[in-house]
Amino acid sequence: MDNETDSRRDGNWAQPYEFVSGQTQYHRLGHVRLWVTLLDKEWQVRSETRAPETDPVGWTESIGHQLPHENVSLQRFIREGDSSTITFIPAVANLPTVIRPYHPLTIPGGARCTIYVGTVVWMKVCAGKSQTLLTEVPLAVPSLTWVGRNTMEGELCYSSSSFGRLLLEAVPKRPWRAVTPVTIINRQAEPLLLERFSLPTPILSLHQNERGQLWTPGVVVEAATDMNSASLHVDEGLLTAAGPCKQVAPAREKVARGRLVRAFDRVFG
Amino acid sequence: MADELKTGAMNVFVDIAWGQWISSGFLLVLGIVLGSLAARSVSKVMAKRSSRHHTVMVRRLVFYVIFLLFGVAALREAGFSLDVVLGAAGILTVAIGFASQTSASNMISGLFLLVEKPFEIGDFIEVEAIMGEVVGIDMLSVKLRTRDNLYVRIPNETLIKTPVINRSRFPIRRIDLSVGIAYAEDVEKVENLLMELAEKNPVCLEEPKAFVLVSAFGPSSVDLQFSFWVPKDKVLEGKSGMLVAVKNALDKEGIEIPFPHSSIYAGSHSEPFRVQLLGLEKNIEKEVLDADKES
Repeated sequence: MDNETDSRRDGNWAQPYEFVSGQTQYHRLGHVRLWVTLLDKEWQVRSETRAPETDPVGWTESIGHQLPHENVSLQRFIREGDSSTITFIPAVANLPTVIRPYHPLTIPGGARCTIYVGTVVWMKVCAGKSQTLLTEVPLAVPSLTWVGRNTMEGELCYSSSSFGRLLLEAVPKRPWRAVTPVTIINRQAEPLLLERFSLPTPILSLHQNERGQLWTPGVVVEAATDMNSASLHVDEGLLTAAGPCKQVAPAREKVARGRLVRAFDRVFG
Repeated sequence: MADELKTGAMNVFVDIAWGQWISSGFLLVLGIVLGSLAARSVSKVMAKRSSRHHTVMVRRLVFYVIFLLFGVAALREAGFSLDVVLGAAGILTVAIGFASQTSASNMISGLFLLVEKPFEIGDFIEVEAIMGEVVGIDMLSVKLRTRDNLYVRIPNETLIKTPVINRSRFPIRRIDLSVGIAYAEDVEKVENLLMELAEKNPVCLEEPKAFVLVSAFGPSSVDLQFSFWVPKDKVLEGKSGMLVAVKNALDKEGIEIPFPHSSIYAGSHSEPFRVQLLGLEKNIEKEVLDADKES
């Protein structure tokens, strides 16, 4: 693939890519390598996740005719009519994501803070004008964890370690990560030690700004005074620092009411 | 005489109220048809909103209630009084009760199972060394489908009397692996290695945390217990994957997984064993097979 360096361009979310039969589009996106091929009657999607040795930064795509080695997993899909476009739509995780700062953070009683967390997104490969979903590729292998009072009650979540950054500038912006500002308000008199926090990713929508970065609306978590519950609420708008954005993907799950009240140990572990 | 018999028989034949019987039969058939139609539509509505277990239960209930109503109506139509039928049933129950003790006990056990609900349709349970997925909970028995695709019928009475292990009640499960290492190896190094494997494996949960315990000094190895948690649907994959990973990691680090070996020691005061070396074995020619002889 190295001989195609010249034709390499930056990949974009929610932008239809036009194909000619026989062409293969090759994507390098984080640790994921993706090959999308259009044939006369079918679409072929091959994907591979490399071992995380280095920290890649960008997303590049190139058009060619080369296919990867045979042992890369292949999925085949029937081509509907003469559809020849492929759109990549980002999607949030289908389970809540537990954010675990490398170093726990203490929030004094009555104080509030905003931390910026990046969560991994999934890539939906959609074909044609109607954007029929072909397949969904996780852009990182998320590890699973359990959040709950004991091993009987609780829920499975994805786990994501984070630095718990308090400054937006310090947050690395990657095409395969969506940034969520989380405001934590500690209404209790005692300080709250933030060791882990469960972010309800399935109820967040995804937005893209002019620089191609992905953002979700902010989440406000209030630790109630009675120590038993925490209320969660998703902001209507986006952070002003994100700039003008357009929505690229709706939330996976709709919330009936604007506010979610959850058991304290379901939110803070 | 013959004529009298003939007219008598004819009279019996004519006296039967055929209309009543036909209409009661029709009511019964109608009950079955309407019952199954109603049950099917109820289950269709429920299938999307409720678990498979509840859907099946409600479907059965709807069918039996409708069938019972039509059955009662059919009996009335045929000219039976309901009081008499119930009275007769009371006497019959005693007689039948003795004759069908097992069935009755299974039926009552079935009722208790429904109330207690130790498992649902679709759960993976283990009863008396039989392991399988529950495919049906009926009046007399519970049906399981084992992993090797056998259909097993277990009487409800057995399920009430013996311990039942429900393997899919809770969303996460712990897997305990036993790993033996040679006495010469560094236990702490192996512990760290195993913890690293648990961290890397995507099936293995981060919390509850994995742990390693030294469980025993075995006859030929130091036995370690390596425990980690996985989602309930990834148990087989988690166990097998981890065993392969443990073997590979220990091989890579040059850590010996010993197999039992024994040393024969004759004691310091006893004579040493007398060992005799024999010459090379001669090739003994086998007898020619009968089939070869003929040819």
